[in-house]
Amino acid sequence: MALLEVNNLKKYFKEVKAVDGISFKVERGEVFGLLGPNGAGKSTTISMISTLFKPNEGDIKYKNVSIIDNPSAIQQKLGVVPQEIALYPTLSGYENLKFWGHAYGLRGKELSNRIEEVSEIIGIKDRLKDKIEKYSGGMKRRINIGAALLHNPEILIMDEPTVGIDPQSRNHILDTVLELNKKGMTIIYTSHYMEEVEYLCTRVSIMDKGNIIASGTQEELLEIVKGKKKINLRFDKISDNLIDRINSIDYIENVDVHDDEIILTTQNGEDIFKDLIAKSSETENSILSIDIKKPNLEAVFLHLTGRALRD
Amino acid sequence: MLSIIMLRLQRLKVEYYVFLVMTLMSLIFTFIFGATQNQDYTPTILVVDEDNSDYSKKVFSELQDNNAFKYSISEYDDAVKKVQDDKAAAALVINKGLQENIENNQKPVLGIIKTKENIDTMTLENIISSITSKMVGNIRIASITADFINQEKNIDHNKIFNEAYNKAVETWKYKKPIEISSTRLVEGNGTGYDNLTHSIIGFALFFSMYTIVFAIGEILNEKKYNTWNRILVSPISKNAILGGNLIVSFLVGFVQVGILFIAGKYLFGLNLGSNLLGVIIVLIAFVFTITSMGLFLSGLVKTHSQLAALTPVILTSTSMLGGCMWPLDIVENKIILALSNITPQKWAIEGIESIAMYGKGINGVIIPTLVLLGMGLLFFSTGVKLVKSE
Ligand SMILES: Nc1ncnc2c1ncn2[C@@H]1O[C@H](COP(=O)(O)OP(=O)(O)OP(=O)(O)O)[C@@H](O)[C@H]1O
Ligand SMILES: [Mg+2]
Repeated sequence: MALLEVNNLKKYFKEVKAVDGISFKVERGEVFGLLGPNGAGKSTTISMISTLFKPNEGDIKYKNVSIIDNPSAIQQKLGVVPQEIALYPTLSGYENLKFWGHAYGLRGKELSNRIEEVSEIIGIKDRLKDKIEKYSGGMKRRINIGAALLHNPEILIMDEPTVGIDPQSRNHILDTVLELNKKGMTIIYTSHYMEEVEYLCTRVSIMDKGNIIASGTQEELLEIVKGKKKINLRFDKISDNLIDRINSIDYIENVDVHDDEIILTTQNGEDIFKDLIAKSSETENSILSIDIKKPNLEAVFLHLTGRALRD
Repeated sequence: MLSIIMLRLQRLKVEYYVFLVMTLMSLIFTFIFGATQNQDYTPTILVVDEDNSDYSKKVFSELQDNNAFKYSISEYDDAVKKVQDDKAAAALVINKGLQENIENNQKPVLGIIKTKENIDTMTLENIISSITSKMVGNIRIASITADFINQEKNIDHNKIFNEAYNKAVETWKYKKPIEISSTRLVEGNGTGYDNLTHSIIGFALFFSMYTIVFAIGEILNEKKYNTWNRILVSPISKNAILGGNLIVSFLVGFVQVGILFIAGKYLFGLNLGSNLLGVIIVLIAFVFTITSMGLFLSGLVKTHSQLAALTPVILTSTSMLGGCMWPLDIVENKIILALSNITPQKWAIEGIESIAMYGKGINGVIIPTLVLLGMGLLFFSTGVKLVKSE
């Protein structure tokens, strides 16, 4: 029995099919990833699981019991880290943690102990007395996560918890997630950063436009693009002529231009160097570097949708 | 709900400034509009004693016990001239036959010469009514003729007076005598209308409304901070959010009104009469109504800044209509008077003043309290619906 089971879930906002019939399971003890670009429907999915929205259709089961008509069955078990910072800016970090702990039923000594432990986990102990509005973006993000941890939830849902912060805070958060998971917490993690999902998640569902377009372990997903290569090319400058010529190589499946970089996906790697050099020599552009990458989840997304995960 | 109440109390530590500002504003406005009129500027009332009897002298000495005005004896013609020239607020004419009338158990006739109806003349009428009603004892209603003198110059004052006098006597004889204030003057033992008291009450209610509406409007900040949704996914229910916020806003509002009344007592000598319980009952009903109104307004708008834009407009206009700034008795426009009935302020003031000024007992507050509770429930139920449907 899966810990959480989502079945044919749909949520429409008037004309917008934010979530359009998705199904997935989350097993106890795993880090489950929802990967998708902006507007894919990740947050909407999270909102339904965390009982904020009622779906138009479909069901969500927690330990085999539907939570749609009985939200309180899951509320106490869930820790939800919303995408937007959801804290009281005029209160201190400590006061915020205290309120959210209280909201989940913690009192007295137990509450203050948990505040102590959580502030250790999120690494923000020395600034707890300051008002949230005086915190940096990264510190706000950490308290935002801490507020979901006080009652030691069975399932932790994190909605893009690293958006807009410095690499150091980001690494700290990612390691915190792994640590929590090691201690037995089940985690649902949404992101549009492929690297984060690759780093954290045991199983991944890739979402796009309200649908799940692929699901599985990372290995299973990479099977989809097996044998394919991702090649990053840098030229001194990029012209339409150059792109047309590269497109004319028949075994190249996808050409994507990012600023000064061209990203290719291809089935065949043997002749690629020779062909690329030949094509570019027909133009006035010259190659600066060729970088062949192992296929990753980004490539899976690109393969399935023809678009990049970001931008 | 306990979580929400504790949270709100904690946040009050940071949001106390609304409370402070409203307290200060209320005291300043009371000082400007209430106190100055009584302390720095005392209008003069001329007394024309045509009866020259023991009773008329008694009227004069009773008048002097009341320090709302300065009183001085004057001749009739002189009085008319001074009133016309705005050198005196009004003149009181004690007509010949006062003593006779009182001794024969008839209604005494007193005249007031005035050029316009304003707070001063109203106050004077109230004072005279209570003095004469005290004096006549077994005559239940004291009546006064109110003369109106045009500001035109070339007028034979004597003629006008005679006409007015005769007309007044006629009115008194054949129709219902002109009652200056309603029966409540006779029934109780209050001090009558007092501008300072009215200002304290009016401004205390007016500025407390801001505190209350902004306190309950904090619900909108929950939405701004995204904490509203976060609470909803926690085991705390929507009802608990609303309940907790309502309770705290109610308490804050009640404390605000209380502080303003207590400050009124020590700074301005406010006297709320003998029935404090009655006043408190009206205040509870009023604070409840305004808390619910705040909830309703919060449901109408999307953000706290919209609420901040809407609130002054609504509170100021209804407070003017409802008589917070000036007594409704000086308003003559029937439409405005009718509209005043739909403002909570009118009923709260009426209830409190019936005790503080007119010495009524708990009976005086029953209807105002019921009306306030009715309005409150209406606002409450629509407000809850609006805020919840968000
Ligand atoms: N409350 C709402 N009302 C109307 N439309 C909404 C609402 N919430 C989301 N949407 C729409 O639903 C779609 C999915 O949005 P959602 O926030 O779930 O995407 P997301 O995957 O979380 O994107 P992001 O990475 O930008 O957070 C979007 O087109 C969005 O505009
Ligand atoms: Mg989102």
